[in-house]
Amino acid sequence: MDLHGKHGLLIDDVPEMRNNMRAQLAAAGLEKCDTARNVKEAVDRITQRRFDLIICDYHLGQGADGQQLLELVRRRQLLPLSSAFLMVTGETAYEQVATAAEYAPDDYLIKPFTSATLATRLGRILEKKEALRPLYLALVEKGGRDKALAICEALIATKTRYMLDVLRHKGELLLEAGRHADALTLYDEILSQRSTPWAEVGKARALAAGGRDEEAKAHLRRSLAAYPNYLAAYDSLASLLEKSSKEEAQGVVEKALNVAPSTQRQRRLGGLALDNRDYSRAEAAYRRAVERDKTGFFKGHDDYAGLAKSCAEQGKLDEAFAAVKDMGANFPNRPELLARQASLESQLHIKSGNPTAAKEALQRALKLAGTQTLDAATSLEIAGACFAAGDEEQAKAIIQSIAENHHEDAEVIDRARGVFRAAGRESEGIDFLEATRKRMIKLNNDAVTMAQSGDVAKAITMLTEAADRLPNNCQISVNAALAILLDVQRNGASEEKFLLARDYIGRARAANPEHRQLPDVARFYRKLAPPDGPTLDD
Amino acid sequence: VDELIATAIHDAKNRLGAVDALLASAEECNAAVGEARQLTRDINRQLVELLAFYREGAGVLRLVVDDHDLVNFCHDVRDEFILPAHSGLVVETDFTAADRLGAWAFDGYQAQLILLDALRNAARFAQRTLRFQLEAMDRGICFVVADDGPGYPPEVLAGANAAMSPGSTGLGLRFARLIAARHTTPDGRCGSVLLSNVDGAEFRLCLP
Repeated sequence: MDLHGKHGLLIDDVPEMRNNMRAQLAAAGLEKCDTARNVKEAVDRITQRRFDLIICDYHLGQGADGQQLLELVRRRQLLPLSSAFLMVTGETAYEQVATAAEYAPDDYLIKPFTSATLATRLGRILEKKEALRPLYLALVEKGGRDKALAICEALIATKTRYMLDVLRHKGELLLEAGRHADALTLYDEILSQRSTPWAEVGKARALAAGGRDEEAKAHLRRSLAAYPNYLAAYDSLASLLEKSSKEEAQGVVEKALNVAPSTQRQRRLGGLALDNRDYSRAEAAYRRAVERDKTGFFKGHDDYAGLAKSCAEQGKLDEAFAAVKDMGANFPNRPELLARQASLESQLHIKSGNPTAAKEALQRALKLAGTQTLDAATSLEIAGACFAAGDEEQAKAIIQSIAENHHEDAEVIDRARGVFRAAGRESEGIDFLEATRKRMIKLNNDAVTMAQSGDVAKAITMLTEAADRLPNNCQISVNAALAILLDVQRNGASEEKFLLARDYIGRARAANPEHRQLPDVARFYRKLAPPDGPTLDD
Repeated sequence: VDELIATAIHDAKNRLGAVDALLASAEECNAAVGEARQLTRDINRQLVELLAFYREGAGVLRLVVDDHDLVNFCHDVRDEFILPAHSGLVVETDFTAADRLGAWAFDGYQAQLILLDALRNAARFAQRTLRFQLEAMDRGICFVVADDGPGYPPEVLAGANAAMSPGSTGLGLRFARLIAARHTTPDGRCGSVLLSNVDGAEFRLCLP
């Protein structure tokens, strides 16, 4: 493929290497090429304009590396999937590049290489990007899963030369859509012809999604024996083990970290070690997460909170307070930060035997919670501080609100469970959260039954009240919209009803654009809405 | 191989990379530089192979198994291999099976080193022709490098010796066997290296 007219970005922290590489890129035909020296400059450039190609050296100094940059720009959707990312690496680091789990570069090139090799590889990446462009666009489209699956089918029918890439995406999409039986069939078909690490892990994920956890774990262990560097296998196995043995899960994450460094996995190790009361290991992991990245792009409040807690549990209160202070120095002064710091300070003051200071800090946190909308993680930290201060009622009220708002979000529910565990109330927490989950399911089921048996008006009242109270609960918003549309079908249409239904569909999309029932409710809406009525965006 | 030697190898390898870059810029002026470059790459490859044995001994040899487009991979190996100047040798290729299979999962970096070694060795003994092709097997692939020379000595075929001739280290063949054996699958299959004499020497790298 001709590289003339393509716009590239070259990222390398060593000036001589940057100049050499730029000359090689020009010789390969890439004339328009911006440069960046580090992660910050790279993010700035990528935010300002769209590049066809990113050519990035793995080692970028500043404690950050090219893999972290790739994860950052892909996760934040700063770099579309249609733009190519080529990682340049030495022989010693290529294993770490090539074993990346979730965010792999489109290709990697091991130094030294010639301009001709560089040109060939860049051309191939761009050809593939071009051939799969419709799929990449659908993959990032909100609610575009069905469309992406249809594109996969169409590409498979054409016997595309990128068949394995397409099958890989198809498997992921089927798993995301909850079609685990279809995913399992797909992976079994692939594996009957060849063994490839991603399909082995895909099969294990499909087994686990179908409730066959033990088979999935055994399959992952066999996969790791054959592919001991495949990080996605460690991640999947650790997730499964977390349900039964956090100690074993911790061991698996530690092994993954021996394969390749990763801030995400350090954070995960820290969390598991905290749960396992392995405080020195937790401190070491969080410290690495905090210190590895001096750019600040990859850190989160959780890292400092984890560091503070693991230090505090070992009696290192000065270091714990220092971690909370450092947190303030590394993030913008937003309500979430201030509430998180105040909650942590409150918990630390209790440990240091200063209840007055603890109470004052908790009041600050609660005041922020009363006036601002805080994210789930911050709210749950405040709940933890309430438990520590002995205010059980307040703690449970906060957790209940979060659990009701996010009853389908396993990550949030697990975090809520962690708050109970840290307070020494693990079994109570399990019962409390299970009761909340059942209550939410019952509310939805009762309303649906009510609507089906004819009392649509009462169902609408019940669901819209709940949806207004719980704006992050996608399921309730979906059901509220469905009840209103049922009312249209049975009792006649009005613009007001369509506007209301559309509003709840919008809220559901905002809460979870990939919710499995959203395509159905959108189809129902379009079927009922008159041509001149309020239209629903795709 | 102890750690000091491994470090020295690593350092030498990096310096060779720098020499290669310098030679690349001088190549336009002098054709002999091309041969010098080939030599540096051969030495570089040998050092990487030695490092693999060090890593194996230290328990840190890691294979990176990933999907590779077989047509692209075969062409890359062919393009990377430079016949000795004035040898008059011809390389015949057949990548039909590569086209049919599409992609396959294996460690492309290590496999390329093995195949370049095999091609270099074949070029030493070939009369006129080298053959490089890919064959499909039952749930596996096989890279074939063959020449029309005198064939492998009996002791090499018998597995008693890895060196093809006096003065040869046999490093390439040992490396090939090490890497092939480390290619395994969850259902217990593993790679292998097969040597035979068929109108000359035939080297097969079979991967599951």
